[in-house]
Amino acid sequence: MLRYRNLIEALEAAPDERPFITFWVDEDEQETVTFAEFRRLARGQAAALQAQGAAAGDRVVVIMPQGISAMAVFAGAMMLGAVPAFLAYPNEKVEPSKYRAGLAGVTANLKAKLLVVDQQFPEEMLGCVSLGDKARLLRARDYKGSGKEIRPEANHDPAAVALIQHSAGTTGLQKGVALTHASVLRQLEHLQRSLEIDSEKDRIYSWLPLYHDMGLIACFMLPMVRHIPVVMQSPLDWVMQPETMLQVISEHKCTLGWMPNFAFQFVPRRRRPNRRTQYDLSSLRALINCSEPVRGVSMQEFQEAFSVIGLKAGALQSSYAMAENVFAVTQSDIHCTSGPKRVWADGGQFRGAHRIASTAERSAGAMCFTSSGRLLPNHDVRIVSDSGTVLSDGSIGEILVKSDCLFDGYYNRPDLTAKAIVDGWYHTGDLGFCLDGELYVIGRKKDLIIVGGENLYPQDIEEIVSGHPAIHDGRVIALGLYNPDLGTEEIVIVCEVENEALLANAQEIEHDIRGRIAAGLGVTAGMIFLKPPKWIVKSTAGKAARSTTLEKLQKEHPELKIESDRG
Amino acid sequence: MTAEEKQMIEFILRRIRKPNLNIDENTPLVSSGLVDSMALGDLLIELEDLTNLRVPPGKVRPKDLDTVAMMFATATRVGKPQK
Repeated sequence: MLRYRNLIEALEAAPDERPFITFWVDEDEQETVTFAEFRRLARGQAAALQAQGAAAGDRVVVIMPQGISAMAVFAGAMMLGAVPAFLAYPNEKVEPSKYRAGLAGVTANLKAKLLVVDQQFPEEMLGCVSLGDKARLLRARDYKGSGKEIRPEANHDPAAVALIQHSAGTTGLQKGVALTHASVLRQLEHLQRSLEIDSEKDRIYSWLPLYHDMGLIACFMLPMVRHIPVVMQSPLDWVMQPETMLQVISEHKCTLGWMPNFAFQFVPRRRRPNRRTQYDLSSLRALINCSEPVRGVSMQEFQEAFSVIGLKAGALQSSYAMAENVFAVTQSDIHCTSGPKRVWADGGQFRGAHRIASTAERSAGAMCFTSSGRLLPNHDVRIVSDSGTVLSDGSIGEILVKSDCLFDGYYNRPDLTAKAIVDGWYHTGDLGFCLDGELYVIGRKKDLIIVGGENLYPQDIEEIVSGHPAIHDGRVIALGLYNPDLGTEEIVIVCEVENEALLANAQEIEHDIRGRIAAGLGVTAGMIFLKPPKWIVKSTAGKAARSTTLEKLQKEHPELKIESDRG
Repeated sequence: MTAEEKQMIEFILRRIRKPNLNIDENTPLVSSGLVDSMALGDLLIELEDLTNLRVPPGKVRPKDLDTVAMMFATATRVGKPQK
């Protein structure tokens, strides 16, 4: 039995004076709103949305910089029974035409009634937005409490769609995951139990973008529904100065947080040792590694760097999460002082037989896998082979998930839904194995490239590179190779020039390609290999053969470190 | 070009693993894709060391750091004394 009928009823029940969101810009610039103040902000935004015609069931797309205003618009839409969805704010590096095209694809699928942007949103980005019939654009203003407010409708049907969150990806083909109030509330109930959350004592820290499930669910919906204070900073501020995370946690004595794997290496490598005494992480009781395969070496590096400033043994934990299940599927045992479980397995068996054969720690050829934890209540997983056979403990296959918070389908995409959910089981596309009641996630089944927690589709990169006049169209392969130094994958591109003479201008061409990728996708390519014509290996079907080409590349460039430092 | 700008260029070339690339204090780095926001964190640390200033988070956008010359101008504009 759920404590609240819907998310708005939960917000309405929050104690007036308890701090809700603190938005941290700098030590001398931060803004805090209590739950009562946030409700007023959201009611004001609800009135503004209603004045523009938004009503129950309408989709409201929110593209605003991370902050309290964006969150108030989101909650305001839910107060009306409308269905909000956050989308990423344009990145300075992304070419406007590419951003517009991506935005057009997503907004067309949502058939949004309103697109809400901030006052500074670039006019030129709006040209290609498809909003559907009678759709409107609203430039949100900060609600100061002087205008009209809506008394929220707290009687929304638990089975109604509450919000849409998008699966990660930079392409315009991101999938909208429609989630009901009941699904989200059940997920939050499970999270509260597994993390033993105490709303009077806990305080969440976040730099996570609100358009991803970690940011939206764990760091906005969870505190909103469970009445927990949250301290957040913008993802861009964090990535440019990751050490500020230590400052925020120390200042506000935060107890809980979530981060993708790469961040566990990114932060320790960018800390200033001379500022060490200014920080204190002793308040943290769970900093949870999720959304990418969990790598023990990354967590170990974080632990070793920060135990000196109070980070407790066992504070680093793990989880397996996805937008399609609202958020978490598993959670490691927060009482285990050695952190998530690990298993050492024979490398040959892993690669050849796709099985986990336990072996002695650090023995020759052994590989280490870190658990993502145990299933949340009312969750079930299966590991299946390519042919659909259910596999036993220790066998590697695709992870299938069934739960009481699983999504009903991709918004307006019954075709994709039918492929993803079969007999009530969601096919995650991730590879992993179960062992002794714990789930271990190995990586993506598909060819996704995961860079710093961001999923990139190789086709998007290949299309851009193919468009370069010096590159032979279609003779491009983009790969994601794990870089142990970065703790995340790096984009590696191999492409053929139109003619061998062009290799004399390799540096100039590479520079140009790099700029195009940055402009098109907002990411930086790691290594680009320009090759003479006919270098890329083709399959019998005439397509570029990824794995064979990669093997050839490794032979020519042994400096490429590939998946060699798992741990 | 100042000695500090030269030092910063040398640091950037090491950071992006392109020791033979020709860049000067006015070469676009962020907008050209040579430097991403993850690398900017390293550059900011170096910038703080070279200027002996603390560059506050939230006061700097990637576009403010597009060239080496802009990095030093930004540090002068928003920098605070180091604690």
